[in-house]
This record gives sequence, C-alpha cells and structure tokens, in this order.
Amino acid sequence: MSDGIKSVLTPAESQEETQQIHGVSRRQFVHAAGAAGLAASVGPFILPRSARAAGKTLKILQWAHFVPAYDKWFDNEYTRRWGEKNDTQVIVDHVGIPAINSRAAAEVSAQKGHDLFMFLWPAPTYETQVIDHSEIYQECERKHGKAIDLAVKSTYNPKTRKYFGFSDSFVPDPVNYRIDLWGEAGMEKGPASWDDVLKVGRKIKDKRNIPVGIGLSAELDTAMAMRTSLYAFGGSVQDQQGRVTLDSKRTLEAVKFVQALRKETMTPEVLAWDASSNNRALLAGKLSLCLNAISTTRAAENEKLPIADQLGLTKALRGPVRAIGLEHVMDCYVIWNFAENKEGAKKFLVDYIDDFLDGFKASQYYNFPCFPKTVPDLPKMLAADPHMPRGKYSVRGDVLNWATNVGYPGYANAAVDEIFNTWVINTMFAKAASGAMSPEAAIKEADTKCKAIFAKWQAKKLV
Amino acid sequence: MSASIARQRAAAGRNRPWCDDEALLGRMLLAPAVIYITALVGFPFFLAIFYSLSDATVGSTTLHFVGLRNYEGILQDPTFWRSLQNAIVFTLISQALVVVLGKILAMALYGDFRGKWLVRLLILLPWVAPMSLGSIGWLWIFDPVYSIINWSARALHIFGPEIWPVWLGQPDLAMASVILVDVWRLLPLATVIILAGLSAIPQDIHDAAQVDGAGFWRHLFMINIPLVMPIMLVALLFGIVFTFTDMIVIFVLTRGGPFDTTQVIASYSFFTGVQGGDLAAGAAISLFLFPVLAAVAVVFLTLARRAEVA
Repeated sequence: MSDGIKSVLTPAESQEETQQIHGVSRRQFVHAAGAAGLAASVGPFILPRSARAAGKTLKILQWAHFVPAYDKWFDNEYTRRWGEKNDTQVIVDHVGIPAINSRAAAEVSAQKGHDLFMFLWPAPTYETQVIDHSEIYQECERKHGKAIDLAVKSTYNPKTRKYFGFSDSFVPDPVNYRIDLWGEAGMEKGPASWDDVLKVGRKIKDKRNIPVGIGLSAELDTAMAMRTSLYAFGGSVQDQQGRVTLDSKRTLEAVKFVQALRKETMTPEVLAWDASSNNRALLAGKLSLCLNAISTTRAAENEKLPIADQLGLTKALRGPVRAIGLEHVMDCYVIWNFAENKEGAKKFLVDYIDDFLDGFKASQYYNFPCFPKTVPDLPKMLAADPHMPRGKYSVRGDVLNWATNVGYPGYANAAVDEIFNTWVINTMFAKAASGAMSPEAAIKEADTKCKAIFAKWQAKKLV
Repeated sequence: MSASIARQRAAAGRNRPWCDDEALLGRMLLAPAVIYITALVGFPFFLAIFYSLSDATVGSTTLHFVGLRNYEGILQDPTFWRSLQNAIVFTLISQALVVVLGKILAMALYGDFRGKWLVRLLILLPWVAPMSLGSIGWLWIFDPVYSIINWSARALHIFGPEIWPVWLGQPDLAMASVILVDVWRLLPLATVIILAGLSAIPQDIHDAAQVDGAGFWRHLFMINIPLVMPIMLVALLFGIVFTFTDMIVIFVLTRGGPFDTTQVIASYSFFTGVQGGDLAAGAAISLFLFPVLAAVAVVFLTLARRAEVA
C-alpha cells in the first residue's frame, strides 16, 4: 500500500516529505513568503489611513533657512496658525541649497510634489511647468502697493508676458568686514569701493596675514559676488534686450581686477569654497572681508562669539562705472501646474504677504520685503537693532538703491538661469584669477557657452 | 501497466501546486532580478538615448527630435573633454592603487595574528559606511580652515609656519584628494575579493613551493598572483565601473572645481542635466560612459576567463 502511494509522488513531493521532518516545507515557505510580499505591497493601498487629517492639505517645500529661528517660526507657528484658520493641514519640508534644483527636476518629472515650491533664485527654466502668478501679484499690490522692481525682474518674462514665480522677499548682500583690522589700516567704516578692497585688503594681508575672502568656486555666494564686480565695472552677461554682451572691454577690466584681487589679497582656499565657507572663515577670524548676507553676523551674535562686536557691514562697493550689488538670495515661490491645491497655495502667499512683518522679525531682519509697505518702519527697526556696534544694520536701509537682480540690466530669463546654475561666470573668473587661462581666453570661452545657451532657449521661444 | 503509471504521473503533474514546479518557480525567483534590471538599468538607458536625441529640459514635458545636435555641442565643449580626461586619469590611478594596496592588505590579512577579526572589521568599515557620509567626513578633513591633516602636520613640525596646503583649492591637490577618498572607499571591497581568491589556493601548492625552496617574491609572482589573477580582474572590473560612474566623491568634495579641474563625466552630466536644466545634453554626456564601460567589461571578463582556463 505504501509502495502504491509512493509510486505517484513526484520527486519534489518525496523531497518535501523529507524536508518536513526538519520543519517548514518549501511549499509552506513559498506560500508564506508570497503572502507576506503581497501584503506588504498591497496593504498600504487597502488599509485605512488613520493619519490623514480632515479638510485640505497644503504641501510646501523650501530651503533650510540660514537663520534657524525663521524655520522654527514658519513651521511651528505661522503655518500651523494659517492651517487652523483655513481648515488645511500644512506640511512644510526643508531641503539644503544644493538639493533644490534636483528636487524640482524630480517633481516635474513625476508631475507630482509640493503645492508651493521655493527656489532661492529666479527659476524661469520651469516657466512652462508653473501657473501664471500675476493674479497673486495683483492681489498683493492691491493691498500693499507695488512690488519692487527687483522682484518683478526676477519673476517676469517679458517675451511670454508671464509671471513664472512669486517673490515674497529677498536678502541684501552687503560687505562684511572686520572693524578692528580695517580700522587699524585707517578705514574703520569699511571699504567704499573695489579699489579700497584691493589696496587696503593687500595692506592687511601683508601686515596681519589675514586675507580677503571672496569666493571663486562653483557655489551660490561666488555667483553673486562675481556678478557684483562684473556689473560694477560696467560688464554684464546680457543687455536689456536679452542679447549676450559678455565679451566686452568692461568684462575684461572686471576679470583683470579680480585676478589682481585674488593674487594680492586672497589665498587659493577661495577656489574650494562652498556657500558656507566664507561664514566659517570670517567667524574663525581668518578673513578681513567677505560678501555675504547677515547670516554671519547673526550667527556670531546668537552664539555670543567675541568677534561679533568686530563685524561691520557696508553697502555695495563702487566700481569704475557704478556702485551696485546683487541680492544674496531671491525667494521665488512657484505653484506647479500639477499642484493639487493651487487655490490654497495662492491664498497662502497672499496671506503671507499680509503677515510679512512677522516673517521679517522672525528672520532677524534677514528676509527683506518685496512689498515695502508691509514693513513700513524698516529703517527704524534696523537702526534700533541692539547688537554692537549699534546701527550696523542700518546700511541695508537703502538697499534698493544699490541691489539688482541676476540678469541685470535685463530680466532673469531661462538662459540666464542656466548660465547661473552651471557656474559659467564663476568658472570664467576662477580660471583667469588662478592663472589657468588668460582673462581674454576665459572670457571668450564663457561667451561661447553663453551664446550657445541663449540660442537654445531662444529656439524654445522663452527668451 | 507502465502506461497507467505514466497517466498517473501526468495527472499528478497537472494537479501539482505551482510552487512545486521547478521550472516555473525558477522563472519566478529570477523575475525580481530581471524586473529590477529592466526597470532601473534598461529603461533609464533607453530613456537617456531618447533624451539625448531631443531638446528635453527639466522644465519641459513635450520633446522634439533634434538628431545628433546635442552630441555635436558636447564634442565642441572643452569642459566635456576635460571631464573625460579627468575620469580616465581618476579611474586609472585610483584603481592601480586599489589593486596594489588590496593585494598587500589581503596578504597581510591571510596570515594568522592576534586581533585579526578587529583589523578585518576596521578595514571593512569604509565600505559599509554610506558614501555620502564618508565624503562629508573627508570634506572636513580637507577643509581649508580646519583641516586636521594640516593641523597635525604643523603640530608635528612636518609643515613649517608658511605651509598650509589648500587640499581642494589647488587643481593637483584636489585631484589627489578625490583619488585618495576613492581608494579609501574601494580598498575594502578589493581586499575582501582578493582575500577570497587567496584562501581558495590549495595548501599543497604552497607546501610544494616551500619544498622546492621558492622564496617570497617567487612565491608571490609565480603562485599567488597568477592563481588569484581571475578574481583580481573581477575586483578591478568592479572598481573601474564604480569609479568611472561615481559622482558622489566629486559632488561632495569639489563640485568639479577648482574651475572644472576635477570634473568627471558623471558629475558634468549631472551639473548640465539636472542643475543646469539641459536634460538632453546631460543625457548625451552620460551616454559617453556606456561604450567605455562596455569595452572594459568585455576585455576584463575575457581576460579573467582565459586566466581561469590557463
């Protein structure tokens, strides 16, 4: 009998009998593993989502602010309050600066992501992926008066007549300098011109071995600082009509000046910097001057560093043609075409501008308003800042007289954006300043790249 | 009688549960790997070819065919040629170091000594740690202000008061630094692979060589290296593929700088395609990795096979 049964068993079944002696059979194992896999993959779709809140959701992505107190206020106070008032669950995600572009690309590729996405610079490359933000500007202008020119030039495309973003605020980029060192060299109020930086910076470096620190690397602060010097010397990447004008005598003067500045006042470390290197070096007492927002002075004050009282601020440096500075950071919110809560995102931005005074205070005067009437007492508030030396923040009171946008004297367009993000201008200055290329050759190379980039975006009819 | 048994077996086969069907189960177990490779390697590869022939940008969802225009643009771009050259130099130097050091380490670890497990653990750590975290650690080690290398060298009077190398700010030092980090990362893998090869050599071969009076060098070049060669070539192949396609070390340490002197194909593709927004050009740049890697893989696998047969 037993033999008869065995004769119809397959070899696998015979083996299974043996295996069962030791515990779980292969059949049981495969069934169990299959069931577990199925449960893991299907479970999340059929199980009830208890965490889901009632009402709407608004998802915001923005950078991890250089002033951490701002994020604390924005995440834990402001958005919570706004959410309760508007029956909306507000989710705020933060990313570091280097991840902003890759995150945006991923969201567009997936056609899914946040309702509000904040860039730290104009993002016209994404123009076809975002709604026209003119409605938000109109509503805010109705309530608070005209937006500053800097905001418009950073978020409007005159070619397509579309607002491809909405700018709530910007951050001025003053000169940060050591009062003790510059005072010792006879310039206690800091440099007023690029020429002062070269002459006095050299004197300080020779005497105290403390260099000037203006980045020449592939990073945000360098991008701003190099454009500042370019514009001050009369050069520019494009003209008002959006034609490439980089290869000019003015650019050559600027590049030659930066070459001298690097050689006589700086060390090669500026070629390796990231966006926070100048902050660290200034706070460590290793720099006599850098171009930066007030995150450095605020960090020194908040951490009660002895150097805090020795850090002074001054306005944009005068070049042979003009005294001009760039914004350090330009907050540009966009609402994607695929955002799930467009109306909520629009309302949030309008309400945020209504409450901008709170944001200005929470950022410790870092974020400046794009609608100036929202902070009517701005100069007074800056003058009343209690930190030493008293009144140092006042130099930023007339920032709109000396700050301009990326793409000056034209608008920030898609070609300017790509040139900015691929560090073409940074590399041009760095190659010449390090002696790897002659200034003329470095400019020619960058000009060729700029023209190719402009031609590409012109073909797409966005420039 | 036999026909009846055959019928019974056929009926049993038809009624057999799917998990007992060897052929079906084999295919099912292989399926995740095939799906994984198709979805994460095959699909992106063909997508990259498609993008490289289009005018895709990060902000566009509609594409237009532009033929080979992106490739023409890249071939005229001096930064591309610099990146290709850097990628080759970076890979060759780092892999030469990895193979030599890996062999030395494997031989050191092959013998018996106290605390061997601890040494093995320490050597494996760089491979186990996430690459981005390891690179950030190195970023601090090379920091222009706080570099622990400079600080230690100055404290030990190796560097004088005027010497303070800026590791990531000078082209040659920057390239040396990224090579060093790559070697640090890949050395454990090569060591473990070579160690496995060494352990597989039968003891009688070593004994016979000893009886014949072979010294250390003869033993190394006539026995150890030839017998470990196939597996060493596999380690080298892995190393070349990992290094040639890697951008984490470059991205964290130098971002291609100073002024593109450490830019490699993978990082330049990322900066152009994702950071710069020109997805089509980025895809075209990345595709230059493919023929190089395919050729390297074919050559090395052929060599490994021949060495094995020999």
